[in-house]
Amino acid sequence: MSFSDQEIEEFKAEALELLEIAEKSLLALDSGAEFRPSFDAIFRGFHNLKGAAGMMELMELQAHTHELENILMSFKDGDSIPKPYISLFLRGIDGVKSILDGQKISFNYKMEQSTQVSPAQVQVTKVSEVPALALDEFVCECEEVIERISVGLQQLENGSYTSDTVDALYRDVHSLKGGAYLFSFSLVGDLAHAMESSLEKIRAGGHLPSTALINCLFKSIGVIESLIQRIKQKAPDKDFASIVSAIIRALNLSAEKLESRPTQKKEPEVETVSVVTPKEKESENEGTASIRVSVSLLDNLMALMGEMVLVRNQVLQYSNKSEDMEFLSMSKRLNAVTSEIQGEMMKTRMQPIGNVLNKFNRVVRDLSQELKKSITLNFHGADTELDKSLLEAIKDPLTHIVRNSCDHGIEAPEVRRKHGKSETGTINIKAYHEGGQVVIEVSDDGKGLHTDVLLRKAMEKGLITQEQANKLTEKEIYHLIFAPGFSTAAAVTNLSGRGVGMDVVRTNIERIGGTVEINGAAGIGTSIKIKIPLTLAIVPALIVKCGEGTFAIPQVKLEGLLRIDQSNTENRIETLHGALVYRLRGNILPLVDLNKVLGIETNNKIIDDNSIITIAVLNAEQCSFGVIIDEIHDTADIVVKPLNRLLKSLKVYSGATILGDGSVALIFDVVGISKVAQLGQENAQNAELDIQSEKARKTADLQDFLLVRLNSPAKHALALAYVNRLEEFKRKDIEYSGSQRVIRYRDIILPLVSASEHLGYASRKVESETFPVVVIQRSGQLFGLEVDEILDTLSTTLEMDTSLIPHPGIFGNLNTSEELIVVINPFELINREFPEGKIASVKTDNGLRILLVEDTVFFRKSMKHLFEERGYEVVTAEDGKEALDILNEHNQSFDLIVSDIEMPRMNGFQLATNVRKHPVFSKIPMLAISSRADKQYQTEGVKSGFDIYLEKLKPSVLLAAVVELTTKTRNVA
Amino acid sequence: MNTKQNTIEQLTTFYIGSDLFGIEVMKVQEVFRNPSVVPVPLAPNFVRGLINLRGQIATALGLRELFGRPTTELSDQMSVVCKIDGNLVSVIVDSIGDVVEVDGNRFEAVPETIPLNIRRYIKGIFKMDGVLLSVIDLDQLSKELSPAMESLN
Repeated sequence: MSFSDQEIEEFKAEALELLEIAEKSLLALDSGAEFRPSFDAIFRGFHNLKGAAGMMELMELQAHTHELENILMSFKDGDSIPKPYISLFLRGIDGVKSILDGQKISFNYKMEQSTQVSPAQVQVTKVSEVPALALDEFVCECEEVIERISVGLQQLENGSYTSDTVDALYRDVHSLKGGAYLFSFSLVGDLAHAMESSLEKIRAGGHLPSTALINCLFKSIGVIESLIQRIKQKAPDKDFASIVSAIIRALNLSAEKLESRPTQKKEPEVETVSVVTPKEKESENEGTASIRVSVSLLDNLMALMGEMVLVRNQVLQYSNKSEDMEFLSMSKRLNAVTSEIQGEMMKTRMQPIGNVLNKFNRVVRDLSQELKKSITLNFHGADTELDKSLLEAIKDPLTHIVRNSCDHGIEAPEVRRKHGKSETGTINIKAYHEGGQVVIEVSDDGKGLHTDVLLRKAMEKGLITQEQANKLTEKEIYHLIFAPGFSTAAAVTNLSGRGVGMDVVRTNIERIGGTVEINGAAGIGTSIKIKIPLTLAIVPALIVKCGEGTFAIPQVKLEGLLRIDQSNTENRIETLHGALVYRLRGNILPLVDLNKVLGIETNNKIIDDNSIITIAVLNAEQCSFGVIIDEIHDTADIVVKPLNRLLKSLKVYSGATILGDGSVALIFDVVGISKVAQLGQENAQNAELDIQSEKARKTADLQDFLLVRLNSPAKHALALAYVNRLEEFKRKDIEYSGSQRVIRYRDIILPLVSASEHLGYASRKVESETFPVVVIQRSGQLFGLEVDEILDTLSTTLEMDTSLIPHPGIFGNLNTSEELIVVINPFELINREFPEGKIASVKTDNGLRILLVEDTVFFRKSMKHLFEERGYEVVTAEDGKEALDILNEHNQSFDLIVSDIEMPRMNGFQLATNVRKHPVFSKIPMLAISSRADKQYQTEGVKSGFDIYLEKLKPSVLLAAVVELTTKTRNVA
Repeated sequence: MNTKQNTIEQLTTFYIGSDLFGIEVMKVQEVFRNPSVVPVPLAPNFVRGLINLRGQIATALGLRELFGRPTTELSDQMSVVCKIDGNLVSVIVDSIGDVVEVDGNRFEAVPETIPLNIRRYIKGIFKMDGVLLSVIDLDQLSKELSPAMESLN
């Protein structure tokens, strides 16, 4: 007799269901559920399975289940199943699953006396053949258990525990052990076993946990956590063996040393207990009534939900035109039901933020020990719910913020005492809903933010100039923390390191459509406020009209709407140096005409005294601005559809959506608009991408030059990046060191080099009282380059023409539309007077090889020069493709790849991705240098494999990065 | 490329002016007249705009504009919708021709004299009787238009 596929499938489904019931009941028994009902359920499960297996003529299965049933029957009259047997039955169930999957098993039904289940007994299949699904669940389960154990250990540590807590802890450790051995993860099992035995004394009463023991327990659970991660990634865990055995020894030792004290157990505060226990009960109950569903299924449902919302919107719009009452009421009903489904659907992906926050207990605990600070962490609103993917996305940024608070925020206890604060610092994390968003506030009562310290640091790092610093508002100063390059270097401690700066925190939050704000009064504390949307797929938006087009503005970015009557002379739009502004609540709000930004031709949009103007006030990266729009249409929940890369690169759109009437609307990228608008209308119109022109990309790099006058008819230029300062000295201050003319300058002696003289021009006769000097740094030493006059700066995308180099010290020529500008190489000029060798320069290790990838001739030459000067051997490539060819063809090894981003044929990102994938070269450190340094590029750069992403700037910064990267590899090697 | 062997390939053909172009029939999802296109301000001129294709958004590319020819009114035009790597691309053309079967033997590379801005989007030329048929390189088109790297999720 044979069975159809369908019959077999049905049988399997039935069997799995039965197994599920049996398994659940077994586990319930294990955690102390009532015996009789669970036993009956298990028995029924096995019995029915046996019957079904017989029906299907699956002899092996029938025999297996029969055997299990027999063993089970021996406990029929008792009131419990011993734990080893529960494990046996659980293994038996896995055996059934293996048979169902068509595998052969050999099963040991004998129960040995030892309580320890040794992995050797489980010979169902090889470990690697553990069904993936079961393994996933095991990992999932473990993560939950570890979480619980962590919480339990903390209670143990701060003394707020009862015997129930210890019992729960013991049970959790035990089940961790059982599960680990079942899957033959012996390291986890052994460790859990050691934890279990060390807890036994405490559980039995009469012993109080010692600090040493608790620390060991924490360490163990930490290692188990890492091991589980390894299992999850299917990575080997052999290297952990020695750590594990060391910890086990330490555990045993500290357990032995436990002082036996009379059982005058502290009566814990009732509150803590009552908080914990009911919650656990609750989640247990939920557990029995819930199922695991794969996230991808939920994602699909979400996507379909989005479509459904669209259809609903279309029906509603259509029904408004209809007179048919029946249809109208039906569409109303459809509307209501859809909204309800949408709400419920959202909930399926929602998880309490507490899931993430609980992890911080550990983080703060470990850090406070390490830093010898005393810190308490409080949560409010841990049950605030949030989309699962968002929850994942905020985990790292939040961890970073919390670490920062511990490390930089909270002061050491003695400092706190001195300032009259309690020695224990507090970090509060508050989560709540507000206006369709989730707000998470992390605040500490630490030293707060000192604006002067921030400013100094920002200036040291070259992020701002003194001039800019004077103009910044308090809020803007705080936000310097988010500037790229601000925090990474500042974080010299290993704690806030991890390679994540606050700029990455902000980028990550903004990527999911959120915003970050920071506030902090010096001496009182810092508070960081993160606002994130509830979900990603469907966003509320304002629909506006502009020209002929319809656009959507996400509500998150919308601060308000203004309607301005220009006939009202008190409160109207004013013009300031040609730009439109509006006085909003005492502040000047810059205005942007959307039509202009978008390059839409308008015929009648002249603001006169009678017009009434609508303004949407938007928020982009902490600055507010108003956009003038033609018409406000509606508000709607829109489904975001991604745009292709070409359109995304226009910067002003974040996506597109389909409106209720079926028309397409573009969704504005508010941050992008603010950026485009600040470039001025001229640039916005030039922003038209011409992808057909290869040249446009090639010259995308903007170079800044300083224009100077020498004793020659032609203008001369030198790259601004080389310039350290511009000074003016008095002639009479010139002194002589031997024959060398020098100037005393800021405690050092500045040698003077005449540019004219070294370029072969006659030196100028006319002696004015003062003369301008360009201060240039070479190898850490300053030199003064004498010029006749400092003219201007020039930003250009022109390629340098190097075909004509009449004199050493000249890089080449810039051919502008008006004139020819000679680009000089100041280093070569200095070298003529002071050959590199003469100076005790800080030469770096020689013999290191750099592959330099750069399409712009000027940068290629000057960087090559810069590196060679430092003793590096430099090979250049004009684009990513050539670089790869060089790597491949010559099979050469390089110590570092320095690459531009914007290049023809293959850009820097692609190059990095390719290198990282390459079997041989994947380990070469990579440094990106680009004139594009916005967040998106930086993140992308790091994602594609660059170790460091730098803006094209000062050579000293570049060299520092090069040294850092090359020494790193050296040390590793 | 398989086309070099003795394979028979089916192409959907269409015209721009009097020039004949083709796309592999299997890659074409649908063809319709007079597409309703929402323009995208600031986009390059060959991006005619976005089309709502039953709830999906397609990007409309004007082949005329892409090849640097004078643009025409959309109302006279046809949209050839192709799905490339999950992206919907509507190629806007003047008029639709027949579906033709071509012989791989008659396939030839694009002559070097064709300007690069056209050549890069053309896979090769089929020598038909009395007319040359240029095969559009959809992969190249899609490369230029592949979805933004950091789309949602």
